Amino acid sequence: MEGPIRKILLYVDGTEEAITAAQYAVCLAKSTGADLHALYVINTRALNDLVKARIFLDSEEEEYHHDLESDAERYLKHVDKLSSRKGVTATLEKRSGTVHQEIKKYAEEIDADVLLIGELSHVRSRRDEFYHETERAMRLVHCSVLMVKDEERVWDLYDALPE
Amino acid sequence: MALVDLVKPEIIKVPLDSKSKQAVIRELLQVLVDAEKLNDFDAAYDALLAREAKGSTGLEAGIAVPHAKTDTVSTLTLAIGIAPEGIDFRALDGNPSNLFFLMLAPPNQSGPHIEALSEIARITQSKTFCKMLLRAQSPEEVAELLTEED
Repeated sequence: MEGPIRKILLYVDGTEEAITAAQYAVCLAKSTGADLHALYVINTRALNDLVKARIFLDSEEEEYHHDLESDAERYLKHVDKLSSRKGVTATLEKRSGTVHQEIKKYAEEIDADVLLIGELSHVRSRRDEFYHETERAMRLVHCSVLMVKDEERVWDLYDALPE
Repeated sequence: MALVDLVKPEIIKVPLDSKSKQAVIRELLQVLVDAEKLNDFDAAYDALLAREAKGSTGLEAGIAVPHAKTDTVSTLTLAIGIAPEGIDFRALDGNPSNLFFLMLAPPNQSGPHIEALSEIARITQSKTFCKMLLRAQSPEEVAELLTEED
């Protein structure tokens, strides 16, 4: 397969915006013939920080870790459903750790040509520029980044895609 | 969901009137009821007290982060209270608590819940920032400090 996009990395974090990004990723994979990889990262760094800060008890850390594992399964399964419905095969990957670092690592591992992320909120604080995981990933990855916007347009594109 | 998306003047109380742990939880829940963010006051109160029974969320340096998973809210919900005089929240260091971040999350939103709590943990590490919050005179001032847009 030729062209600038051979491998697409989709970052899924369970937000509505990430689902829109998933639909767009399917459209892009279908039209370019690129491989689609979907990644969910269980934010164990944040869990550890909360235990260290004593906001979480050990039992809460376990409970929330279990919740996040379930979220990962659920959201990746949803991406699988969205892609297979349109005849696109997605490679699903679940990782644990610091989100932006895991995205960077995985993008390098698969030699992604483009990272697709959901739209970020319009109202952001200066803090977010330093700490928002998706923002940090955007800056860190070696490949180009595409932020998917316009939910309705993307929905129409996805809908119009032949099955 | 970032903390900045949750912070609005109507979910902030400055200063708090309460003098005890239970009272401050009730006062902050009432803030959420008044802001139309919470319907079932009693169930949310029970969930928070159940979490407190396992160990106080009163941390060190005057910070308290009472939190609970509960289906009384449909989305991540935050209330902030400031008590310059301090309230005995049975904190880990034994000192009175001044800054209260009360958070309720529906059971299916653990991801955003963790991110928001993690952000609170991060910002409250700055003693200077906490002092600025303590000096705030109004909910608007607190909201401005926390969202720090420019």
